[in-house]
Order: sequence, then structure tokens, then C-alpha cells
Amino acid sequence: MIRITHLEKVYRTDEVETVALNKLTIEVKEGEFVAIMGPSGCGKSTLLNILGLLDDPDSGSFMFNGIEVAKFNERKRADLRKRNIGFVFQSFNLIDELTVFENVELPLIYTGVKAAERKKRVEAVLDKMQIMHRRNHYPQQLSGGQQQRVAVARAVVNNPKLILADEPTGNLDSSNGNEVMQLLTDLNEQGTTIIMVTHSEHDARYSHRIIRMLDGQTVLENIMV
Amino acid sequence: MAVAMLIGLWIFDELSFNRYHKNYDRIVKVMDHQGMHGQNNTNDVLPVPLGDALRASYGSDFKYITISRETEEHVIASGDKKFIQAGNYMQADAPEMLSLEMVYGTRAGLKDHSSILLSHSLAKKLFANADPLDKIVQIDATTNVKVTGVFKDLPDNSEFRTTTFIAPFNLFNANKDDWNNYNMSIFAQLNTNAAIDEVSAKIRNVLSDKTKGQEGTHELFLQPMSKWHLYSSFENHVAVTSEQIKFIWFYGIIGAFVLLLACINFMNLSTARSEKRALEIGVRKAVGSARSQLIKQFYTESLVIATFAFILSLCIVQFILPWFNGVADKEMTILWVNPWFWLAGITFTFTTGLLAGSYPALYLSSFHPVRILKGTFRAGRFTAVPRKVLVVVQFTVSIALIIGTIIVYRQIQYAKDRPVGYSQSGLITIQVKSPDFNQKYEALKAELFNTGVVANVARANYSITDTRGWNGGFNWEARPAIEGQSFNTISVTQEYGETVGWQVIQGRNFSKELTSDSAGIILNESAVKLAGLKDPVGQIVKWEPGWRKNSHLKIIGVVSDMVKGSPFKPAYPSVIFLGNGNWLFVRINTNTSIRSALSKIETGFKKTIPTVPFDYKFVDEEYGLKFAAEERIGKLAAFFAILAVFISCMGLFGLASYVAEQRKKEIGIRKVLGASVFSVWKQLSKDFIILVIISCFIAIPFTWYFLNGWLQKYEYRTEISWWIFATAGAGALVITLFTVSFQAIKAAIANPVKSLRTE
Ligand SMILES: Nc1ncnc2c1ncn2[C@@H]1O[C@H](COP(=O)(O)OP(=O)(O)OP(=O)(O)O)[C@@H](O)[C@H]1O
Ligand SMILES: [Mg+2]
Repeated sequence: MIRITHLEKVYRTDEVETVALNKLTIEVKEGEFVAIMGPSGCGKSTLLNILGLLDDPDSGSFMFNGIEVAKFNERKRADLRKRNIGFVFQSFNLIDELTVFENVELPLIYTGVKAAERKKRVEAVLDKMQIMHRRNHYPQQLSGGQQQRVAVARAVVNNPKLILADEPTGNLDSSNGNEVMQLLTDLNEQGTTIIMVTHSEHDARYSHRIIRMLDGQTVLENIMV
Repeated sequence: MAVAMLIGLWIFDELSFNRYHKNYDRIVKVMDHQGMHGQNNTNDVLPVPLGDALRASYGSDFKYITISRETEEHVIASGDKKFIQAGNYMQADAPEMLSLEMVYGTRAGLKDHSSILLSHSLAKKLFANADPLDKIVQIDATTNVKVTGVFKDLPDNSEFRTTTFIAPFNLFNANKDDWNNYNMSIFAQLNTNAAIDEVSAKIRNVLSDKTKGQEGTHELFLQPMSKWHLYSSFENHVAVTSEQIKFIWFYGIIGAFVLLLACINFMNLSTARSEKRALEIGVRKAVGSARSQLIKQFYTESLVIATFAFILSLCIVQFILPWFNGVADKEMTILWVNPWFWLAGITFTFTTGLLAGSYPALYLSSFHPVRILKGTFRAGRFTAVPRKVLVVVQFTVSIALIIGTIIVYRQIQYAKDRPVGYSQSGLITIQVKSPDFNQKYEALKAELFNTGVVANVARANYSITDTRGWNGGFNWEARPAIEGQSFNTISVTQEYGETVGWQVIQGRNFSKELTSDSAGIILNESAVKLAGLKDPVGQIVKWEPGWRKNSHLKIIGVVSDMVKGSPFKPAYPSVIFLGNGNWLFVRINTNTSIRSALSKIETGFKKTIPTVPFDYKFVDEEYGLKFAAEERIGKLAAFFAILAVFISCMGLFGLASYVAEQRKKEIGIRKVLGASVFSVWKQLSKDFIILVIISCFIAIPFTWYFLNGWLQKYEYRTEISWWIFATAGAGALVITLFTVSFQAIKAAIANPVKSLRTE
């Protein structure tokens, strides 16, 4: 499903040049659950942003479902993204001014789903995440675990083929964290490909495979059994 | 702030009117509530002998009583220097009463019966830098008088600002015993022990006692100098709010609004900014800074800014004051030496600073440090409400001003486009104030035709843009005169019609050949309508005013209405007689250049009538002056409208950038979820557009109400059509979109990864 080869990303600020990704090559198959680990600053988030078509690489190839997307422009990337990819962030990134329902509804609005259909799908997914009773609350009124469940709900409401999660449990205590990991595992069992960045060996054990990175390169791959 | 200062100065100027005169508190004017044929008027024109009558009976209450002719233009000449100057004939105490500041001579100079006091600028014009005392000048080419004093020019905010000379009253050949002729003003200064109300009550019936045989009623009273300028409007003998007072209120309110807008900006932006500084405050509080210290810090900041603004506004005011004076027709200066000015300015600065600083100071310092530091502090859903209200207020004011400006200009344009009924371009007019004009007219005419640049020459007894004679008592053939119905009456020479270019609608112009025309009259259309005549030409009119011999007049023609009074009022119904007068009209040939024509005409004029200056005026320019007041309103309205829009836009821009900043994260999230640049832009602009639309809905009924009221003043008025509101609303929307879009687009095209990273 995803094949990146010799991918490079360099950040240039006034004086410093940071090589965030250094000729990285990774392949992820459909239906896989991959964890990415590595020390802080090794380029995990950068990689995830590129995989999520939020950012473009400086060089290298990025095949998504057999299409070369490395050179896609902003509009094409956005189009591909909103149909195929869902995001879960460490800091949830819910919109404070919108209710749980409205937050989850957003991706559907942007893909042009009709209102009645939206309502059905949002309610279905909220039901699945067991936060239906909180549908009219604002994010600030929820606990961290509940917020992350909303974020997951938002990520899956569009039935994306790929979910990218950047430290989804980073801001949660262990029981809430396990709950979210269980949700991701369930989704994966239903066929969604998941790529997750994490610092926790415990969480990484939920995945099929761990990619370990250092200074923008893969150093090791563990296959889980 | 500069604007507020400007308006403050202006109001100060209006309120300090006449204070130049030292006896300001004691000076009064004798006023008369008249009643005649059921019409009640209040004015200050009185018969000459009243002065002596007052002096005889109530002399002990007054320090001075001086009769004065209204300020009029006369020719003042010395050698071959001749100028048309406005001045007064006044009795000898006037200079003392008005506390004129003498440059040469003394205030007593006027006691000499053939003397004159000149203003300093007039003296300089006549005699350059030579000592003007005892020089001889000639008034209206007839009377020689000696200069016995020169006074400092009177300031623009004095009742007598236009007075450039004062001549002894006795030179004005007024009949001292004529109680029938109401043509003088009477000024007086009360004695220190006399109370104005008491004296007013005492003199109440003096005039009615002396004029028992006359028609009408009179009731005298004294009006103190402090009320001359702003409180001289009366209706049915009761003082009513004058236009000037309304003006003062109007601009006072606008000034307050503009200042309010600016304060709103300041508050909005500083609260917006302060939320960003929430963290700083949290840290400060955590390290033990007391709340009072924080409040102090905020107030100090806003006071520093306000002080800075005050200094800046002094500079701005100094800079634009000349322009503003031009527009407002004033002569104001910054009152550098007036302690009240500084006191007011400083109080004002202080208040503004406190006001603007209070919201952020109190609001922010009340933040809970833990909440801020934990990062759970968020501007909630409703913290933005006051800011939104403020934006709505700003835009309501701006839109109202835009609409106001458009309507004022349309009203002016509407009246300007009105057909005047004669041809103005190439027509010049001169009031010839020479006693021998009558004899010399034919010679002058010949001389002017000789120049070859003149198409026609005529005379009349009034200017064409302002004809003042009104008469009633015309007994038409169809029906007798109606009481109270009066017609504008002018006397013209035979060539008048062709010279001014009026249109003859029925009958004909006056003719040189027919001597019977001396008993002929021409009516204009409005007169025909007012008189209710069917077939006017040939009808006989009986008119016996007593001072005219021809009592049987024949209507020989009907001409188009000419706009002579206010262009905003219906045309005067006019009756035009054959006669003459000292207003000369010259129609310049269409194919000559005006410049060369003028110099030729001047040469011809000077050759025949050397005693008076060639003081010509273009009729179209004279006519244009009628719009001065309205144009002033228009210009000021435009000025304030632009200012208000500018201030509002600045506020909006600031707010938009703040909102974009505040919603950066949200925008980032939305973009990650697939929002397009367009949808983000729409999202950000929508809120502002809604606010502007709300403003429109508040502003429109409000301005409609006020402007409709304003237009009622004019009988010839434009319609307030819906498109004006539409334009103003659309304009406001476009401006808003422009202002907001810059920030919105900037926010929309930002890379979402960056905005999410900063979390
Ligand atoms: N916008 C940017 N400008 C400059 N340098 C950047 C930028 N974004 C990331 N970097 C640098 O690139 C490198 C990789 O960053 P990245 O965020 O991918 O690390 P990470 O592995 O996600 O770290 P962490 O585990 O702390 O989240 C770091 O050295 C970082 O400083
Ligand atoms: Mg990271």
C-alpha cells in the first residue's frame, strides 16, 4: 500500500540545516499495523506528516496505492488525504468551539457527504466508540481518554484505508491508553492499515511490526509474533 | 484623538463667540417680538427714534446705548485707491462699548461728526505703512471723512467680524423722528447695578406706546451678547433650537463617536493581545506578583499610550487645522497658552487611558494562574461577544456616516442640477455704488458695447441671485388681492430679459419702442400660478401701494421661473416692473475669452465711472455660494465618514489578525481533515460579514430616520432611494472583505503542520 524509497526531508532555518529524514526506505502493506519508535527528534513525526500527505518530501519516491504522490501539489494531496487517511494526534487536536458531534462530522463535510447521511454515520461511529451520550458536549468538558476516543472517531468516520497516529496515548494514563490501543487494534482487525508513532514499548506490542529509527533512518525492524 | 480635539476646539470657538468684547457680560441687543396679520416674528430691526426714547426714560439703567445700521458694504476711497468694504454706521459710544483695541487714535475718535475708524487691515490697504491718522477718506464717492482711529481687526468669532470701518451714525442721514421705518439695530451696555431681566421688563412696552397708530404689535426685550450667536432663532416669539446649536450637538456627538471607535479599537486589541499574554500573567502571578501590581502595570501601559496619542494628536491637529478651518469656515488655533485647554486635554487623555486600559486590566488580572499555566485557559465561546458588539458599533457608525455623506451630496447635486431659468455662464454682475450711475448708465453702455466683447447690458434693482423686494396688494382682474399673499418684485431695464437669458413663455419682453411698457409688468410662472390666472397676457392689474403712481398695470408677458432665493426652495413668484437700479448685468460674447473680455470691460467701466471699484462677480459663482452651508456639511460628513471607516478598518484588521492567530490551531485541524483554502477563507470571513450585516440593519433605519428629518428642511429635495443604502452596505461589505481576507487567506494557506506543531 505504501512504499517510500530514498525519502529525504531537510529543514533549513537561518543557519542550521536539519536532516529530518535521510534516504529513508519503508514499505507498509495493506492491513498492517506498524509502530514507529525512536528517540526524540529522530524524524518520526516528520515521516508521519509526509505519509499523511500534510508535507512534501525534498526528494525520493512515495508510492501510495501504486500512485507516485511525492510531487503532488497541495490541492491533489488534500483531495487524496481527505478520502483515504485519518489522523490521531497526541494532543487530540479537537476544535474547542465545536461539540463532539460537530468535530466528528467535519471530515464528512469536507468530503461533501449529505447532512442526513452524515448524521447516520457520525452516530454510528460515536456509538462504536461508546461516547454517544456525550455527543453534545464540548471537548473541554471531557476527560483525556474520552477526547482521544472522539479523535479516533473523527479519524475513522470517513472509513479511511489508513490511520496515522502520532503518540495517541502520550497524554493519557495507562488505562485510558489501553482503551485507545484496543480501539486501534479493533479497527486494524476490520481491515484498516495503521501506522503509529509511539515511545511506549507496551503500546508497540499491539502492532505487527516495529520500525526503529535513528537520525532519520531505519535501524531495525522487529516483527511481532 | 486628534479629531476629538478638533471638534473640541470648534465647539469652544462657537461657545466663546463674542467673548473678545470685554463688556461681553453687560452688552445687550434690543429685540422686538412683532406681530402682524397673525404672523409672529422676532427680530432686531427697530426705528431710529427708539434709541433716544430709551435713553430718555431708562438712561440710568444703561451705560451706553448706540444705534447702529446693519453691517453693509460701502466704497471707501483714498486717492485712487478704492475698496468695497463692509462696515457700520454707529453712534459714538460703540467703540467704547465693544472695547475695540486701538492701534492709532482713541475710541473717542468717533465723537467727531465727520470722522471714521478703520480696521487695521483696511488702514494698511489704504495707506500702507504710513500713519493713517487725520488722513481723509471718501465714503461712497460722496462723503469726506477724517480717519480718527484705527482698531485691531475683530476676530472671526465676533458678531462684528466683518466690520472693517465704523462711521458716525449721523452721516447715515436717518430721519430721527420716523417711527415707521424699521431699519436699525440698537445695542446697549447695562450699568453694573442693572439686572437684565428687570430692564427687559421695564422697556417691554416702549415701542408699542410710541407706535399706537401703526398696524401690528411690538414687545421689546433685551438679548444678552452671550445669546446672540447661538440662541437667535425664534418661532412665534419663543426661542427655538437654532441650526448652529444642532450643529454643535451633531458634531459633538460625532466627535464622541469617533473617539469611542478609537477607544474600542484600543480595548479590543489590548484584550486580544492580553489573552496572548495570559501565559506571562500566569507566570507573574505564580512568582508572586500581586493582582494590584498587575492592574497597575496595565493602567500604566495604557496611560503611556494615551499620552503619546495626545502628543501625536497635537501635531496632527496643528497640521490639518488650516484645512479644517477652510472647510468649517473658521479661524481656530490650538490654544497653546490657554490653561483650560491643557486641563481639558490632560483630563481627557487620562480618562481615555483609564477607559481603554480598564477592561484588560481588570479582566486579565483576574485570570486564575493555575488554569492559565495548565493550558486549560481558553478564550471560551462567549468571550468574543463583547468584541463582536464593539465591531458592530463601529460599523454601524461607519455605515451611517457613509449613507449620510451620500445623501448630503445627492441633495446638493440635486439642487445644483435644478434648472435656474436663465443662463449663468458668461454673465457678470456689478453693484455700482456710485451716486451718478443713473446719469452715466447710457454712456457706460455705449462704452461697453464699444469694447466688442459685450453681447448685452442691463440693469435691475437687485442682484439676480438674491432679490429681496416683496409686495402684496395686487388686485388681479379675476379676483382681488389676498391678504398675506406677497410677490417678489424687481425693476429691470428693457434689455434685462435678453441679457440674463430668461425664457419668454407667453407674450413678450419689455420693449424700448413702446412707451406704454412703463405700465407693463411681466410675471413668472409661479406668480401666474399663485395669482390663479388663466390667460394672463393682456390682463390688467390694480396695484396701489401708495408710493407708485401707476396703479393700473398690464401684463405683457410670462417668463420662466428663475431660482433666486435658496435653490432648495420653490422659485419665488415674481412680478417684474420696468425701471432701473444699481445692479449692472453684462453678458459677455460667447466667442471671446473671459479674461480678455474682463480687462476690456474694466477699462470701459473705469473710464466712465472712476469713483467706484470695478467689483464684478460671476453670476454662476455667486449662485454657487448658496450651496456653501450644505457643502460644508457634506465635506465634514465625508471627512468623518472616511475617518470612521478608516478607524473601523484598522480595528477590523487587528481583530482579524488576532482571530486568525487565535484560530490557527483550529484552521490547521480543519486543513488536515480536508478543508480547502476557500472554505477556510469563507469560514473566517463569514463571522465578520455577519457582523457587518447586523450593523447595516441597525444603521439603515437609524440613518433613514435622521436624514429624512434633515431633508424635510428643504422643499426642493432629493429622494432617499434604496440603492443608497444598498451601496453603503455593499461598500462596507467589500471593505470588510478586503480587510479580513488578507488575514484569512494568510491563515488559510499556512502549512497546517506548522500550526499544529506549536501546540
Ligand atoms: N519545521 C521545522 N523546522 C526546522 N526543523 C524541524 C522542523 N520540524 C522538525 N524539525 C527537526 O527535524 C527533526 C525531526 O523532528 P520530528 O518532529 O520528526 O522528531 P520526532 O521524532 O517526532 O521527535 P519527538 O519524539 O520528540 O516527537 C528534529 O531535529 C526537529 O528539530
Ligand atoms: Mg513527534
